[in-house]
Amino acid sequence: MNSDPLSHLPHGISFRFVDRVLEMTPGKRVVALKNVTVGDPYLQGHFPGNPLMPGVLLVEAMAQTAGLLLSEGSSAVLAQIRDARFRRPVVPGDQVRIEAERLGGLGGLHRFAVKASVDDAPVAEVEIVLAETSQATTNVF
Amino acid sequence: MNDIIQRVRQLLATRLKLAKAVDEISDDAPLFAPTGLGLDSIDALELVLGLEKEFGVVVEDRAVAIRVLTSIRTIAEFIQSQGKG
Repeated sequence: MNSDPLSHLPHGISFRFVDRVLEMTPGKRVVALKNVTVGDPYLQGHFPGNPLMPGVLLVEAMAQTAGLLLSEGSSAVLAQIRDARFRRPVVPGDQVRIEAERLGGLGGLHRFAVKASVDDAPVAEVEIVLAETSQATTNVF
Repeated sequence: MNDIIQRVRQLLATRLKLAKAVDEISDDAPLFAPTGLGLDSIDALELVLGLEKEFGVVVEDRAVAIRVLTSIRTIAEFIQSQGKG
């Protein structure tokens, strides 16, 4: 891992939903931040005059955070989203703290439990499976 | 052994949310073939994590998984061979 774990994400800057990594135990657990601001383009339409972070994009942020735990140089796609719950709205000005824990893996598949909170209040949780698309870099199993 | 088999059935039913289908297959039915439960690789991962949590047995890699996750009976035999259950 070099000093900026975010540089390992394959996503272009326009589709990056993680702003900063706070803690990282490679392969096990990561904590990251997503700052939600009025300038975020998706808030223009969701909804006009009533900006609200879309739940699916919150899940995307959580999946990207989980992806930070994969080995460097590997890319992955979503294989499963399970038991997603959204507990309260996320709005501009919120700083979302996302904590992802890797529960285990098999082949190129990895399962994660991910929680999101704002000011210590839970806003969302989900279980995610990521499938590595570059098997050559798989070194976990 | 019968006790382990019942617990494996319970694991399949709850972790994979397949209670009805699990009731209808035999202990020797192929879990991954369409004629059995028709499970896929994501189900296999879920089962591996479930086996570790419920029985304390570790399925180390894909090769072991392919061998162990053949049927309800092979899973139960693996648990027993590891001295668990």
